[in-house]
Amino acid sequence: MYYGEFKAPKGVIKVALDKENDRISNIRISGDFFMYPEEAIEDLEQFLVGVKIDRESLLRSLKEFYTKKKVETPMVGPEHFLEAIMRAAIGGGA
Amino acid sequence: MRVWRLLPLRVDDAFYSMALDEAILRLNAEGNSPNTLRFWRWQPSAVSLGYFQSVDREVDLSVAKKYGVDVVRRITGGGAVFHDYGGELTYSVVCKQSDVPSDIIESYRIICGGLVKGFERLGLSAEFKPVNDVVVNGKKISGNAQTRRFGSVLQHGTILIDPNIRLMFELLKVSPEKISDKFISSVYERVTSITRELCRKPSFEEVRDAMRFGFEASFGVKFEDGQLTQEEINLAEELREKYASKEWLNKR
Repeated sequence: MYYGEFKAPKGVIKVALDKENDRISNIRISGDFFMYPEEAIEDLEQFLVGVKIDRESLLRSLKEFYTKKKVETPMVGPEHFLEAIMRAAIGGGA
Repeated sequence: MRVWRLLPLRVDDAFYSMALDEAILRLNAEGNSPNTLRFWRWQPSAVSLGYFQSVDREVDLSVAKKYGVDVVRRITGGGAVFHDYGGELTYSVVCKQSDVPSDIIESYRIICGGLVKGFERLGLSAEFKPVNDVVVNGKKISGNAQTRRFGSVLQHGTILIDPNIRLMFELLKVSPEKISDKFISSVYERVTSITRELCRKPSFEEVRDAMRFGFEASFGVKFEDGQLTQEEINLAEELREKYASKEWLNKR
């Protein structure tokens, strides 16, 4: 798995992922942030599988997820998850 | 004035403590448990992990084993906390969602406001630092975590009385240089404790009493001493298995 992390204004987002043909094939997101409702993290991981690994596609998916699921992540936003995912995608092994 | 329940100060292991919080939360949401404030200590000392944290990335399990420290995953987000039996008091508040602001940071402000007033009663000038910290002289003295489920709110948090900081950082995977003297001294610039600020170590009961007063003022309620119900005890016993399981610990 590829691994990367990003320090958001509240918490560090840690991402481990596998990719296939420039798309996310498997992703695990962890960290000390808050997300309401908590179970949405699993939905987010599911939602990101198959998404093309480029900033535009990922940000669009993340924003869509926030709107659809009405998740709240105090002081953390889609752009911070994006950074963590990008760092994992270009980063080294877990 | 509205009356909420205050439970006696308890000493429990990590798994039962987390089970009890969830049991009270669930039963409060069902209308079978009153709004409740409780305080407890962790025996044995334990690390609690935030709901979203990866156990392997955050905790050195071999160090935990060496010192007999339990490791448990919370149902609340946020970071890993070392609950030192000898130097840390934990509280939890369970109430209806309608009893706190719907805005998440504002609800932290109200509940942490109880701690701020409690620290003031102990003679310390404290302030809420969003999202979820209380600081004294700019240093963290309490970390808090909240969840909202089933129409009720659970917030629990740590009140640092005199924790073993060196052991804390041996247990938590912070960075490679974590146990260097330089790192430890930088921690002392960011984290403090009641004992350090007051230059004396208060008893757990004294801290509990101060916080009780603080929460009464912040919520505008009166606490009446109460006991756990049989229903809460039964549900907590049941939920304890989840918290003690490998599946739950390794969920992430």
